[in-house]
Amino acid sequence: MATFTINKRKYEVDLKGHETLLELLRDKLGLTGTKTSCQESECGACTVNIDKKAILSCITLAADMDGKEITTIEGLADEEDLHPVQQAFLDHGAAQCGFCIPGMIMSCKALLDANKEPTQEELEYALDGNICRCTGYLKIFEAVRGAGQVMKERDHVVKFADDLVKKQNVGGHSHLAGKQA
Amino acid sequence: MLLNPITYHAPKTIPEAAQLQAALEDARILAGGTFLLNNLKQLKKKGLKTPKNIVSLKNIPELRGISANENQLTIKSMTVINDIFNSPLLKDNFSVLKTVCRNISTNPIRNMATLGGNLTSRYTWTELGAVLIALEANMHFIGAAGQETVVSVEDFFKNNARSPGILTHVAIKRTKNQTFAYQRVRKMSYVDVPLLAICLRTTFQGDRFSDTRVAVNNCVNFARRDSTLEEFLNKSLSKNGVAEESLHHLDMALYDTRADEYKKAVFRVHLREAVKELITRKGKQHGNLHHQ
Repeated sequence: MATFTINKRKYEVDLKGHETLLELLRDKLGLTGTKTSCQESECGACTVNIDKKAILSCITLAADMDGKEITTIEGLADEEDLHPVQQAFLDHGAAQCGFCIPGMIMSCKALLDANKEPTQEELEYALDGNICRCTGYLKIFEAVRGAGQVMKERDHVVKFADDLVKKQNVGGHSHLAGKQA
Repeated sequence: MLLNPITYHAPKTIPEAAQLQAALEDARILAGGTFLLNNLKQLKKKGLKTPKNIVSLKNIPELRGISANENQLTIKSMTVINDIFNSPLLKDNFSVLKTVCRNISTNPIRNMATLGGNLTSRYTWTELGAVLIALEANMHFIGAAGQETVVSVEDFFKNNARSPGILTHVAIKRTKNQTFAYQRVRKMSYVDVPLLAICLRTTFQGDRFSDTRVAVNNCVNFARRDSTLEEFLNKSLSKNGVAEESLHHLDMALYDTRADEYKKAVFRVHLREAVKELITRKGKQHGNLHHQ
């Protein structure tokens, strides 16, 4: 019996030992957002995130992921809003047939989690494992840059709010915390 | 199912992994999986025999990491390519590893593929053999009885890449005055199919090449040295014309691969560029160049 945390939810699965992670996700757990395409680690359609890195699920043994935290395309949006990367792909028209997109988005997310303002070279380097037959990649690059900006602004807001709470907790600023006793 | 039924073993220590490898019938070692799983799928598709057992090294933390002191760099065998590339420890002669790692396959593969798998998979097109021969690196293995075997990367590939146990780490001596050049030829850019990789190393004494190593991955045979070119360069000065002249002093068997005549002509261009690069880099460290 193996235990996985997938999209923040725990699963206990009885594995045979020779299933790939891709087969586990799609066939056993019904998480079909991750796509089956080349199955030879060349197209990137099966990309998921493990430890914030882009990983190809078609060449990962499910048994090797016992105890790991895995994020698939289904795990990006919260209950109300799309993830900034997903929203950016919509806003910039970065999808055509859509088949490569889940894998592409997962690679983009891994990139932006590490670096919210990638250079063009860093962008192409991070996405060099995801092939798109339709778009010519330009809109995808625009979407990644746009998402990076949104994520960077959110980080600023979160940091500002955290700093505010810290100041209030130590009572350092009376106009925020009220007069000290 | 993409794979045939297989028994999966997940040892937690190096001795346990070495004992399992020796004891199990028909077992393959699983490192990053980037070679093995595709190989197993291909074998199944062709109706060929697949191994009965897989021994995964993923649960052995002692096999991961990079460390360095004033004398040596140590890279553990399960360290992935991107972690090697991103390591701040790749200074002095180690910096050429950055360029090589930068050019291996694609980003998700680099997040999964390991140093150990790249060296011990017994595929001839793997990248790290040539550069580690140029760096005079040593490979450390642990056998089933706990015995350590140390073999130079050069000798390992001369012995047809046969592993005498579990590869634990690669050790490289630090040197400060060596100059490196690296050239890589691939079949196409959108899917990485390497054809040739050359790593040159020399210690310039004034304008003279000395202690030169030329390590070649021709993707048909295991990585080895071109002693003909080494001998020529060690007798030469780094002057105009030496790069062109070097094309007349090659171990031609190394470059006579299954590639077509056009690609073999491209090899010669890259060989010439490698020598030029060596001269240009006199006194400089390697960066993270991406070769097309």
